Formats: sequence, structure tokens, C-alpha cells
Amino acid sequence: MNAPARLLMNFEVTPTSHLLAEYQARGGYQAIEKAIRTMTPKQVTDTVTTSGIQGRGGANFSAGRKWGVINLNDGQPHYLCANADEGEPGTFKDRWILENAPHLLLESMLIAAYALQVRHAFIYIRGEFDLPYRRITAALEEAYAAGFYGKPLFGSDFTCDLIVYRGAGSYICGEASGLLTSLEGKRGYPRNRPPRLTVRGLYQKPTVVNNVETLSNLAGIINNGPDAFKATGTKKSPGTRLVSISGHINKPGVYEVEPGRPFREFIFDTCGGVPGGRKVKCIIPGGISTKVVTGEEVDRIRLDNEDLATVGSGMGSGGMVVIAEGTCMVRLLQVLLRFYHHESCGQCTPCREGMGWMHRIIDRIVAGQGVPEDIERLKQISAWNDGNTICGMGDAAGYAALGILAKFGHEFEHYITHKRSLCDGNLECRASS
Amino acid sequence: MPRIFIDGKPYEAKSGQTVMEVARANGVDIPAFCWHPELSIAGNCRVCAVQVEGRSWVEISCNMPVTEDLKVLTDSDIVRDYRKSILQLTTLNHPVDCGICDKSGECSLQDYHYEHNGTPSISRDAKVHSTKFHKLSPRITLDNERCILCTRCVRFTHEVSKSKSLGVVQRGDTSLIRGSEDGAFARDDYSDNVVDLCPVGALLSTAFLYKSRVWYLKPTPSVCPGCARGCAVDLWHRKPEWKLHALEARKNVAIERVTPRENPHGPWICNKGRDYASFVERPRAWQAMSAGTPVATHTAIDAARLLIEGARNPFVLVSSWASNEELAAFRNLLAERFTALVKADRLAQPGEPMEDAFLIRADKNPNTRGALAQFPNEWEIGMALPADCDLVLVWGEGFDLASAPPKARTIVLDAWDKPTHATADVFIPLSIQTERAGTYTNFEGRVTAFEACFPKPDAVVDAESLFASLARSTLPAAAE
Amino acid sequence: MKHLVAEFDALRARFPEGFSSSMVLPCLRRIQEDRGYVADEDIGDLAAYLGVPRIQIEEVLSFYGQFRRAPVGRCHIEACRNVSCSLLGAERLIDHLSRKLGIRPGETTADGEFSLATAECMASCGTAPMVVVNGKYHESMDAAKVDALIEANRVKAAE
Repeated sequence: MNAPARLLMNFEVTPTSHLLAEYQARGGYQAIEKAIRTMTPKQVTDTVTTSGIQGRGGANFSAGRKWGVINLNDGQPHYLCANADEGEPGTFKDRWILENAPHLLLESMLIAAYALQVRHAFIYIRGEFDLPYRRITAALEEAYAAGFYGKPLFGSDFTCDLIVYRGAGSYICGEASGLLTSLEGKRGYPRNRPPRLTVRGLYQKPTVVNNVETLSNLAGIINNGPDAFKATGTKKSPGTRLVSISGHINKPGVYEVEPGRPFREFIFDTCGGVPGGRKVKCIIPGGISTKVVTGEEVDRIRLDNEDLATVGSGMGSGGMVVIAEGTCMVRLLQVLLRFYHHESCGQCTPCREGMGWMHRIIDRIVAGQGVPEDIERLKQISAWNDGNTICGMGDAAGYAALGILAKFGHEFEHYITHKRSLCDGNLECRASS
Repeated sequence: MPRIFIDGKPYEAKSGQTVMEVARANGVDIPAFCWHPELSIAGNCRVCAVQVEGRSWVEISCNMPVTEDLKVLTDSDIVRDYRKSILQLTTLNHPVDCGICDKSGECSLQDYHYEHNGTPSISRDAKVHSTKFHKLSPRITLDNERCILCTRCVRFTHEVSKSKSLGVVQRGDTSLIRGSEDGAFARDDYSDNVVDLCPVGALLSTAFLYKSRVWYLKPTPSVCPGCARGCAVDLWHRKPEWKLHALEARKNVAIERVTPRENPHGPWICNKGRDYASFVERPRAWQAMSAGTPVATHTAIDAARLLIEGARNPFVLVSSWASNEELAAFRNLLAERFTALVKADRLAQPGEPMEDAFLIRADKNPNTRGALAQFPNEWEIGMALPADCDLVLVWGEGFDLASAPPKARTIVLDAWDKPTHATADVFIPLSIQTERAGTYTNFEGRVTAFEACFPKPDAVVDAESLFASLARSTLPAAAE
Repeated sequence: MKHLVAEFDALRARFPEGFSSSMVLPCLRRIQEDRGYVADEDIGDLAAYLGVPRIQIEEVLSFYGQFRRAPVGRCHIEACRNVSCSLLGAERLIDHLSRKLGIRPGETTADGEFSLATAECMASCGTAPMVVVNGKYHESMDAAKVDALIEANRVKAAE
């Protein structure tokens, strides 16, 4: 097989490679010039649609279709917001872009702003980010100084201003509508749809929220054309995906993968396999809200949405977590449910009550006080949340639980029956006794 | 005009409506905790979900726009199962306080539990505890354990009363309704409406706390006399069949609480209306008097009649708390003898809100407009009556008897006990609003009726029948 | 808050018309940076300055994990306890920190020098386990490195 395509991680990262001068030396800020000089806003949107690029924040929705809802002639302000809240556990690939390719994001946002006729754009960045925040704000200063932001561009009357808006410690602000409500200076409460955010978003105006990685692909799509983008990846998942891999893996980090290649190639060849040569017990492929994939399934499927769907999972947020043999899945689920409970915004009944309930059940199981019906109860609460909440977090917690229970239910039965873990309650990568 | 189907039946809807609005307007009672016709859509309780025909899942109806030929089911198996699960989740941490909760008997959670076959909790884990009897303000007590975080109260203060004084602090299942720390909620003149709004027994009136079970009370339609807005209200008092024998008889004629009826401005009243009881729980005048000496009522009436017939320049200070019917009776029977001036029986008390942008009017009397419609001239405080006025008939409160012309005789008609009644030539005690029926006309010209809550005590007279008695001449009637 | 108003005015000018409410988060962050926490009087001052309801600020302060209304230790340590960090020994690390400092997560040492908190995923999974010290990421930590970190911060205090 050919080497995987590189659309984003296609330069050598050095202590200065994130700076404007080097970005321009690599061809930076040519795509926005091309877009403004040779394309209409609608043509840009059509190009994005043609490319088939899907959202890389977790929801996988067609970016072009999302953009297409914006009516360029409605006389209303439109807003664009890059979702840099990256809070999905296991995910740190947007961070790579913010730290190492901030100008790629900034240029791509100009392209999107031009297409959507956006005068004011935002990057909502999670409040905890330290270096990524410093890098993106420094890059923005460079971009302003160079006249890319804040001034009419390339002889047109298109001007864009951008504000980097810092969150303050809330996972749910990574949900697009929660993000916008947070950007309005309030609690990050997600919103019911209808109306879609592209109809009524930030301050009730049409707003497009896109993931950092999704946006960062735009410069390449404009420079090289949508067909070149479609020629990479798979038919249904064109382009490449950034995958951040961590957990029980020898070479953790951010990698650019081309969907359609064997999953095991990525795990064992690219990322060096599991420390100590241990077996993969399971992998969380795309953030904890995607269902776990067993080691056996990893061996036989390709790393792309379609194959992952056949085993009930998906690429999700690109946050891949490898779990080695000997890890207690009951304790792992406890970590996840504790997280969801902590992060539930509390607005809607199923999630507010359900997350706490699931957390209390798993705590009880881990403490040796589980009862057989607890497994059914966790599944039932998950089902009660699926599709019945204001945002996807209730569903997500359910998927995390259902995935682990479906493939490792016997560990839960053991823990309940024997009041102790099959794997000594172990979470770290070491041989179980 | 889109036509939708609910449970197979067609309904005409208006563009822009939601399925919930159409359903409720047509008597289909889709359950709802967080939805309220006067508030924005929150969509957080999730109990209102219905099934769109052909889909295997449910969606909330409060946020479902109507479209032509939309077909929804509100009572399919899927919806019924779903509702039971929502009730399980809603009651997961809800304390079963029904036995001691004021809301019992009018609680949506209770009602839906019965109507939709809620099942006992399947949880094995202890309920999450929270603050109970938190003083949200001196008037409103909040039990956070009972609260289901529907946020109706929060939205009310932001959208209706505009005090913006309530919110939700923390997050997840430790979320709490709280008032802003500057105590603004205590200064919200409409705060008590949250008690009606709250679908469960979380927000309670401190004044009403533990006073009575609601099923011992009956509501009687009335009109709040607190200002010229004249909100339609229900006055709640003990049902006759639940009379308390052992305790003081006073309890049986107490107004236990006040709730709004439908009004053009919505189902809201201000806090003054909630305190209706304070209008009527004052010392009453029970005894007719002649120059300070107690006499039988008919004796006082005879004396008054004589004074009226003998007066050459009598003035009447008309009560702005009189009902339209009483005013009409005076007009028809006695007015031609008198110069009539309408007075304001009550003025704003120190610290009382004068007028605001919402409901509260500066005129603190319920029927000024009705009185002026019969008698166009007003009396202002300090306005001296002419020296040749020889009889002053004071109807109601708000006129200082000492300011009557020195040579004038005085007849005072009043429900409330005052030391000055003994200085009048004649004093006759009147009935109060809760003891009779009538109508008031508010400042906009809207006429609203009130009914009697209690039988009129024998010791007092209705102004209407009093005027008939006063009009009867002592001279033999001329042949007709 | 008065000495920050000029800064806030400049920030406000960068936002589009009608975005005053959006200033709540950045202003609170700046107030907290300045004082170490958000004081009660800051709430009323900020509400008046921005023209937003006071309750909105109170809600925001209690909703977001990074805002605090009371001081923390001079050296505030947040340790991630989420999935990848747990898979790489975060629980042992937090235990170690707790025993070393003599406090449990959520507490501050008696001398006010150190405070400890657990945190959720910081997007540092590839360099787990990690801690954040006064907002700065310290990645690929172990017991020895954490000990060195604590010592370095103790020395700083002594200076």
C-alpha cells in the first residue's frame, strides 16, 4: 500500500514552524487569495460540498450541507465559530493544529468566513489550554499585523475580524449549541433544535460552528481542488483524519491517517503496539463516546467510519485510547461515568438524573455492593437517554456504557458475583496476577 | 393554516404554532412540567414527548413546529412506556413528601404519576439530598429536593416580572434554583406567582405553609381591590362541609390564599393581591350608632333617613370600593338629592409600590372608574366642602370626619371599626366584598364580577339594600 | 475591579455591537487572574459595568470549573484523573500528591502554599499522566517529577 496521504501534517515541526513567515514559505495564505480573487462565496461553499468533507469533531456531518443552510442574502449578520474546546477524553489532535499550524486554521477560517459572508469570527478555545492558547493568539496578532484580518482582502470589500474566546472549564461547551450559549456569556447550556444554529445561533443569528480540524482542511481543498481531497480516504470518508492515540500504546501522539487502511497497521506498525508486547484488550476509537472495539475486531477491520460502523462504533472525535489485556473494564467504565456525571449541565431530566444514577451504580459495583440487576439498569438508563435529551451527551454516556457492557459484560457479572474485579481492579498496563 | 392530526383527529393549526399549543388549545392534555403558555420554551423536562406516526421514537411536542399533515400520537405504547421512564427519572431523587407537602392535591407530578401509571422507583441507591426550606425570600420557601428544575420560576422572573432575580447555580444533579445574592427576588412585587407556576411542591408560599390542605378549600371568583387594575382572582376559603367546629369560627371565614384567574395580561397578580386577607382581616364595625350611642340598625337607618330628607345641601363622598351595583342603586334612589364626589378610599401606604410598567396602578382603589361613570366629580384630599353644606354622607373610608363643615351633620357608612365613627351623627356598619356579589370596572373599562365567599353577617347591611331603605320616605307615599 | 475597567473597555471595543453579555467570561477570568479569585463585590461591579443581570454572573461562577470565589493555594495543582491518565497511573500519582502534601483533593495546606484538585481530560492524553500547576501544563509526570515540582515551588516561596 502507498504511504498514507498527508494533508495537514505535511511539514516538519520545528520550534519556529508555526510562525507566519514559515507558514507563508510553505504556501500559506495563497488559498484565501485564490478564493477571493477567483471564486464567489457560493462557489467556495459548493467546492466544500463537492469535496465531501465531514465534520471532524465527532458528529461527522457534511460541512458543505451545514454551510448550505446559510442564506447569503438575508441581510443578517452571520457568525463563524471554530470549536477548539477539545474536551472529549482521549482527544488531543486539535491541540496539535493550534500549537503547530495555527495559521492553517486562521487562513481556513478566512476562507469559511468569505464563503459564509461572516464579518466576525470566533475561536472558542477551552479555558485550560495553555500553549495552544498562546500560540493561536500570537498567530492572530501576526495575521492582523500582516493585514489578513481586520482589513479588506485582496481588493475585495470582504473584511473579517476574529476573537479568540476562552472557555472556563466545562466539557459541555464543546457541544456546538452549548458553545454558543457560553460565548454569549452564560452557562454553557445546549439548546433544543429546531431552530438549527445555522438558522438561529449566536445571539439568535445564523451561525456555523465547525471543528478546528474540519476548518483546517479548507486551505488544502481550495489550493488543490475538491477532487484531490476526494481522491484520499474512502468514498464515504474522503480526506484524512487526525488521530490522537494514547493509553497503553508505545508511541502515543497525533498521527494523520488515511481512512480505509487496516486498523492493525495503525496500532502495531505506526504506533508500535502495546508496551511489553501485550495483547490489545480493546480500543476506544474516537473519544469515549464511541463504543469500544475489541482486539479481535481491530485485527480484522479497516480504520474508517464504515468498517467501524459494522462493529457498532465510529471515528468520532479522533481520540483513540488503547486498553491492554489485564485492564479492569468495570473500573474503566467507572472513570467514564464519573466524568459524564461531573460534566452533565443538568438541564434535562434524563441526563441530569441518569448520569448520577449510573455513577452511583458503578461506584456500588466497584465497592463490592453490586447486584445482578445493576447491569440491566445501566443498559436501561442508557436506553432512556438515547435520543431523549437536549444534546448528545446523554446518548454518548449511554453508548460508552452499552459498548463496554456488550463486549465485556462477563467482567461485570464476575465483579457483582464475587465482589471483586476479574483483573484486580487494574487500570495500568501491567500483567495481572 | 396547517392541518395536523393528533391521535388520528384533525385539528386546524396556525403557522408557527407547536404541537403542544395546538393540543392544549383543543383539550388534548399532553403532560408538561417545563412548558407554560406564557413562558419561553425550555424543553428540559422531556415529559411532553409524542410519537410522530411512522417513527419509532418520541420527540418533545413543546418544540415541534406544526407542518401540513403532521400526524402525532400522544398515547401509543411507545409514548406510554416513554412517559413512565421519564416519571422514573423525574422522581429518582424527588422526596416522597406528599404527606407533608402543601402542593399535594394539585401537584402535576402526583397527577401524572396516577394518570400515566408511574411505577415505584426501581433505584437501589439513596436519593440525592439537598436544601429544604430555603428562604428564597421572606414570602417564598424553596425545597430543592422537590424541585425538578423545570426553570419556570427562573423564566418568569426574566420574561414576565423582569426582576431577573432567579437562576440555576452549579450544574448536573447538584443544580439549585437560587435567587441573586443581592436579594432582588424579595423585591420582586410579583414573586408569589412562582408558587402557582411551580408544578411541584418546591416553591411554596411562606404565609400559606401548612395552613390547610387544598382539598378542604374552595375557590370563589373575585376581583382584587388592591388597585385599579382589578385582576380577577380566586379567593380560597374552607368549604362549608369542612367547617372547623372545634377551632375559632374565624378560621371558617378566613381567606387562606389567593390565586389568579385568567386575565388579559396573563395568569398573574402582584403580591398585594396575594395578601388579600389583610384587606379584610381588620377589626370590623358591627354596631350601628346614633351620635356614638349604640342603637339597633333600623333605628340608625330611620335617623339617617330623617337627616337626608331634612338636608338642604347634602354632599355624598362616594366610595371607590363600591360595586357598580351599589353605585347604580345610589344613583337611582338617592343621588338626585345629593352633590356627589367620588373619593379615593385608600392611598398607597409608605413603602408600597406606586405604579410600575407591568400591573400595579397608582390608584389603590378597585372601582374609581365605575364610580366616576355614575358620578363624574372627584373629591381630593384637602378639598374643603362648602360652608353651607349641611349634611355629609361618608360612604367608605378615606375622609377625615373632622374636616366636614362645622355645622354639617354626618352619616358614616363603613365596614371597618374606627374611633371616629362614634363622632358621627349616624353610623351604619356595612358588609365587605367577600360577603356580597357585584362587579368592579377597572381603569381600562373592563368589568369583572366577584361572588360572595361567605354569608353576610346579620349585624351589617349591604349598601344596595340600605339605599333602598334610606330612599323610602317617612311621609305617606303620594298616590301613584 | 476599577483598575481593570480600561482593559475591559478596550476588550469591549473588539466585540461586535450588542455583545456586552459575552464579556462576562473574559472579565471574570481577568478579575480572577488579578485577585486570585472572584470576590463578592466584583459580582455587583461587573454586573453594573456590563449591564447584565447579577444572577447571570453568579450562575456562570458556579457553573464553570475554572472560576472560584475563594482563594486557593499559592501553588494550585490540578491532576487529571480521566481515562488515559488513569490508564497510565494517575490514581497512584494523585494518591502520592495527596500524601506528600498532606491534603485531599479539594483542600489547601494549612500554610496556604499548596492546594490540590482533580481535573477532567486536559487533552494531554499522549503525555499522560499530567498535572496543571497555576495554569501551566506539566506532562509525562511521575512521582519523582511531581516531587521535584513541589520542591521547586517550595523553594520559590522561600525566596
